[in-house]
Amino acid sequence: MTQLVQALALGLLIGGVYALMASGLTLIFGVMNIINVAHGALLILVAFITWRIWSLTDIDPILLSIVMTPLMFGFGWLLYKGVLSRISGSSPGMSVLLTFGIAITIEGVLNVTAGNRFRSATPSYFSESYRVFGISLPKAQVFGCLAAVLVLGLLYIVLARTWTGRAIRATAQNSSGAALVGIQAGSVAALAFAIGTATTGVGGSILSVLYPFFPASHYDWISRLLGIIVLGGMGSLAGALVGAIILGLAETLTATYGSLQWSTLIFYGVIMVVLLFRPQGLFGSRLRQDVMA
Amino acid sequence: MLTISGVFAGYGGGDVLQGLDLHVPTGAITCIVGPNGAGKSTVLRVVSGLLKPRLGTIELDGTRLDQLGCAGVLAKGVAQVPQSQALFPQMSIRENVLLGGYTLRRDKTLLNKRYDHVSELIPIVAERSNDKAGNLSGGQRRMVEIARCLMVDPSVLLLDEPSLGLDPKSLTGVSQLVRDANAAGTTVLLVEQNVRLGLSMATHGVVLEGGRVRLEAPAGELMANPEVAELYLGGHASESRTARVSGASLPADTGSGR
Repeated sequence: MTQLVQALALGLLIGGVYALMASGLTLIFGVMNIINVAHGALLILVAFITWRIWSLTDIDPILLSIVMTPLMFGFGWLLYKGVLSRISGSSPGMSVLLTFGIAITIEGVLNVTAGNRFRSATPSYFSESYRVFGISLPKAQVFGCLAAVLVLGLLYIVLARTWTGRAIRATAQNSSGAALVGIQAGSVAALAFAIGTATTGVGGSILSVLYPFFPASHYDWISRLLGIIVLGGMGSLAGALVGAIILGLAETLTATYGSLQWSTLIFYGVIMVVLLFRPQGLFGSRLRQDVMA
Repeated sequence: MLTISGVFAGYGGGDVLQGLDLHVPTGAITCIVGPNGAGKSTVLRVVSGLLKPRLGTIELDGTRLDQLGCAGVLAKGVAQVPQSQALFPQMSIRENVLLGGYTLRRDKTLLNKRYDHVSELIPIVAERSNDKAGNLSGGQRRMVEIARCLMVDPSVLLLDEPSLGLDPKSLTGVSQLVRDANAAGTTVLLVEQNVRLGLSMATHGVVLEGGRVRLEAPAGELMANPEVAELYLGGHASESRTARVSGASLPADTGSGR
């Protein structure tokens, strides 16, 4: 019983972090139909910068996200204005090619500047745990999950309660309808891309503590994150949350009762079964074919 | 006065509008009729800024609209209810209507005032304010779409096929709403497949063919015109007069414009 509760608790903690990482990806897809394959590379980029600053100054890596988030917001905005806006209106396939190029570029730059080696930030609490009712919760995972939940909460408030958020959701749900009420698609797209990228500022900082990484780790991460948003329904934030928690639980439960090697396989098995019955994902809406351009 | 002069516009495969000249008088309800593919909806799309004309100008009381884009045109007081679904299906009715006032978002008092006014005018906005727009019927959606447009208190209202997919009762409601808005001073330009209904609502009628104006006349005259009657009203000009009197209570399927 304790073993089960332990596995569930760990799964939820990891799921929270996955949810944050996937939220930016699904937001960008929902608003712009851009499949941002560079999302994983941006996470790894942030992880490297965080690790570097931590190793030089000993500032807490997760706390560093306070600096990394606005930085990545700005970087995302520039990336959209400078590069991605040029393919606005093209098919999602085009965005895969372009962002894959960006991912490879980031990977290459990291290889040259940071070296092709595994890194991991290990702050003082790295190997400590909280003990609650007989289960142990690693401090790093708790802090990571708290930071993730905090950012997800902020994201929710921005999307639900501000005009910027309304404009973003309106554009995602009906872009020509949004244009008719005076929402400018270009600036909303840049903002949504910047906000989506900003989430990697927190996600990458957490990643640097929780997982060892090297420049090519982004392939693992992007496939995991794409899996989450496909399972949850592309473009749905609630779907990303549920998909992330399912992945977190699948991983810890399989690792507890089976072996670690099976955990990823189980997750993709779940995706396949879900897609057989709900091709649009758990929370996805079917694409309308009759929407006017 | 909304003036369209020499407009050529299309979607990449040749021009749909071929040198269109059209004057929409202020304070009137002008109805554009014409066969499928004549470019009726395209006229509205170039006016609202959804489609940029390749050539030609569009002016509202002397101000150029054709280079402004949707947000700019809206700021000049021209709002469009499009043909296909324009609402945000996963948002509440309240949020949908409020988003109509997106361009007024910095003025909270005005926004709330307009919302109260609109929800008084169109009861469904108040009655179903927390329901998702995706759960409404076609007629209810049309009402909410119009409500959303009225948030900016438009001087010109563009309506694309207001009768499309509506049952007779919703139709009466929608056309009453259009008349009310017009009575309150809004200029209306509408496109209608259901010619009889469209012309009975309108004060002015325009027949569009091949991207150009073929005929332009007061709506009553157009209904009585034997050629129009032959082409669009099933050949009975006299019957169209009675249709005009009974107005919008006619069922939606009497139009034979297709």
